[in-house]
Amino acid sequence: MRAFSLLAALAVSATASLAATVQYDFSVEWVQANPDGAYDRSFIGINGAWPPPPIECDIHDRVIINVTNNLGNEPTAIHFHGLFMNGTNSMDGPVWVTQCPVPPGSNIIYNFTVDQPGTYWYHSHFSGQYPDGFRAPFIVYDREEPFTYDVDTYLTVSDYYHDSIPWLSANKFLILTNPTGAEPIPDAGLFNDSQNIKFKVEPNKTYKIRIINMGALVSQYIWFEDHDFQIVEVDGIYVEPAEASMIYITVAQRYTILLTTKNSTDKNYPMIASFDTDMMDTLPEDLVWNVTGWLTYDENGDFPEPALIDEYDFYDDFNLVPHEKEEPYEPDYSITVDVSMQNLGDGVNYAFFNDLSYVAPNVPALYTVMSSGNDSTDATIYGSNTHTYVLGYQEVVEIVLNNFDPGKHPFHLHGHVFQVIERSDASPDDETFLIYNPDEPGTINEYPMRRDTVYVRPNGYFVLRFVSNNPGVWFFHCHIEWHLQQGLALTLVEAPAEIQAQQVIPDDHYAACKAGGYGFEGNAAGNTVNLFDLSGENLQPKPLPAGFTARGIVALVFSCISAFVGMGFITWYGLSDLKTTEREVAAIVGEPLDDSDESK
Amino acid sequence: MVQIFDVSVFFIVFRETLEASVVISVMLAFIKQGVGKSADDPTISKKLVRHVWVGSAIGFAICLVIGGTFIAVWYTLGTDAWGASEDIWEGVLSIVAAIIISVIGLAMLRLNKMKEKWRVKLSKALDDSTLHGKGRFRRFSRKYAMGILPFITILREGIEAIVFVGGVALSSPAKAFPLPVVCGLIAGGGIGFIMYKGGDIMKIQYFLIVATCFLYIVASGLFSKAVWFLENYQWSKAVGGDVAEEGDGPGSYDIRKSVWHVNCCNGQTSGGWMIFNAIFGWQNSATYGSVLAYNLYWVTLMVAVMLMIFQEKHGYYPFLKSWTEKRKAAKLAKKEKKQLESMSQESDSRDGDSETKEVSVTVV
Repeated sequence: MRAFSLLAALAVSATASLAATVQYDFSVEWVQANPDGAYDRSFIGINGAWPPPPIECDIHDRVIINVTNNLGNEPTAIHFHGLFMNGTNSMDGPVWVTQCPVPPGSNIIYNFTVDQPGTYWYHSHFSGQYPDGFRAPFIVYDREEPFTYDVDTYLTVSDYYHDSIPWLSANKFLILTNPTGAEPIPDAGLFNDSQNIKFKVEPNKTYKIRIINMGALVSQYIWFEDHDFQIVEVDGIYVEPAEASMIYITVAQRYTILLTTKNSTDKNYPMIASFDTDMMDTLPEDLVWNVTGWLTYDENGDFPEPALIDEYDFYDDFNLVPHEKEEPYEPDYSITVDVSMQNLGDGVNYAFFNDLSYVAPNVPALYTVMSSGNDSTDATIYGSNTHTYVLGYQEVVEIVLNNFDPGKHPFHLHGHVFQVIERSDASPDDETFLIYNPDEPGTINEYPMRRDTVYVRPNGYFVLRFVSNNPGVWFFHCHIEWHLQQGLALTLVEAPAEIQAQQVIPDDHYAACKAGGYGFEGNAAGNTVNLFDLSGENLQPKPLPAGFTARGIVALVFSCISAFVGMGFITWYGLSDLKTTEREVAAIVGEPLDDSDESK
Repeated sequence: MVQIFDVSVFFIVFRETLEASVVISVMLAFIKQGVGKSADDPTISKKLVRHVWVGSAIGFAICLVIGGTFIAVWYTLGTDAWGASEDIWEGVLSIVAAIIISVIGLAMLRLNKMKEKWRVKLSKALDDSTLHGKGRFRRFSRKYAMGILPFITILREGIEAIVFVGGVALSSPAKAFPLPVVCGLIAGGGIGFIMYKGGDIMKIQYFLIVATCFLYIVASGLFSKAVWFLENYQWSKAVGGDVAEEGDGPGSYDIRKSVWHVNCCNGQTSGGWMIFNAIFGWQNSATYGSVLAYNLYWVTLMVAVMLMIFQEKHGYYPFLKSWTEKRKAAKLAKKEKKQLESMSQESDSRDGDSETKEVSVTVV
């Protein structure tokens, strides 16, 4: 008996303190599905099912995911959005930053611990792949969260394209006949990868709803008719509960809300996710940009149509106050980037940080760190077009981003959350740009909000600060998939010496590189001998010729010469002698030769 | 200042009027030089002048009707109805005008030396009777050649002006229109008039040479522009927007076909450069097609001039000596036969008339 109770006691303590290991086997394959009722199309699913399953674990768990690429025609890679991957940078997932693409037929193992609570998601981080369906929630449960509720659930929203992303990119988007860089318009919106969902609720209960935007382009306004709620967590950061009736959620962001249901079950209430139509270049007539569901109190009741609203009155996330309060950091190192969209010499519209449009290197940046010894702190070896900054260890890094584009952009930093020190309003018109001036700061909150994905307003700016306490190569980029394809990204190599000292790349990661014939050591060009010789690296296209090139000058001069010579010929013709003309005239006119002038 | 005088409207109307009045005044000058001075036959020259003005007036009237209708439709529908097909319209009309000018232009240079031929030919055309050539249309167009060219020119320039003005109208208030339109008309017409008057003073042949050079500069520009318009249409279709309105920057042209591109000096929209465009066919964004067309035009012209000079020196075109002489012999034989027949008819019809007339038959 005593042995049993001892065992029981051990078991109880074990479950309380021992972190578990959660294991998944993912076979990544093409699956047919039809989420909006239009028609079946191929999606990237897991283990024969779409949508892919959520990953769920408790805080401090170890997560192991064995991924096999059975797509047959595309490589893949998985990024766990919002997880810090502290000490395991190689598990972060973006191709050419921390790993090679995993070719079809190969596999890779992601093995990491999760020491942060909250709502995250995982998605493909290979070349615009995730909007083809490869994305799903990643939930980390935390028994010690600072609020109470009855039910813990999640709700995803997404935009949806009928066509595959690689096809859209190659045929509609990154082509010279799209010189303004107009992003393809989504065909529909989805709630939980479906439409018209009935979200069953019971009266008088508090629901914790983790809302995730897994889309490719559009931010969404989300509200529940006649129901207010409290925002309690954003991007894994607990916040002081904030009363709100509507949120504005960009792609990749997460908001967790506490919604208390009503007393009675007599009505069902619409819940709406509405596209931010500012972000779309045109509004096709047949596009339904609101997706509706219902808080379903009574399954047999009516499901009313949502009411029209006059304006979007959403809660500005800049004003959220983190539960763990921090005062604004003072920066040690500052990076300033200007965002713009311009056309290069191939006529295609690209996105720029300053004058660089990101182009992937031939060797993942992390592998360059691991194979570069003492040169790892020199940003040159990471390539001329990867826009790499090398950061020191345990410094406060500041990113100042000035937006010279009249669009909103949600920017995401891998491996960190950041303090949002300032975010300006949109500029008053298209010709004005608001630029950060540290001597004349705008509004700074006492305890700045923190998250990992934040948007900048049209022609405005924001300022972010974080501590470089997580050695690794971290990507910073716009999370609009189209803009990432256009090159709106930069690379942060944070504490490379510490990465070399503390981290190891697993063999199966290198094996995936070799299976795909990809480079896995050396500088950005793949040169292992001389790290400063970058010949053969990938560069952005040449700029458009400005003004007259040699070809143009030759053409213009030649044309002028033609014209002058031509006029010379005309003059010659006009002055030339015409002894035979009168004979010719007579022959044409049919009259006798006019000899009267000569003979008579 | 912009509120009552829209400068772009002025330049558009000025440029279109200039193009039209240049052609008309040169034609009027030709008529004056070639017909008025040499043959002293005021009726013929007056008739031709009337043709020119009537052709112009008809073209102008049609412009008003078509343009007015389109403007009315545009204002009520609020859309630019021309936008999509304007380039094709421009391109085709430019080619037609270029061809007409080219064909007639060189012939005009023989005007001074063949005054008799022109007098006879024009009077024949005006008085009907024996006309060479097959087909009613060919007869019609030769008969009214002096009226058709200004008609087409005025029609094209006028509609261009109305469409461009309509396009510009989006950003201007209505009262910014009347003044620049009138000024443009006066300025363009005035320059054409000075050109016309100036022809009197200069030595005639030199004037004709200069005027012809000018006409061919305009024609070569027109031809180049025609090709440019058609390529621009293809580009607009591919991009799916109104590229001319997208300005001068990247995306307003096809980089694959570009020979030069400057982000300024747009011949369709930019002040003084529109004059350059009207006269020389200047484009801020030239394509291989437009440049090649321009040069090919001049090369063709040079070849044509060489051929014509050869023909005039030797009486036949190169490689066609025997063919030409056979044709001449056949024509002459036919003519002699006709004359013999008519003579015998005459003598048969004359009854009891003992007068013998001396009929001279000239045989070459």
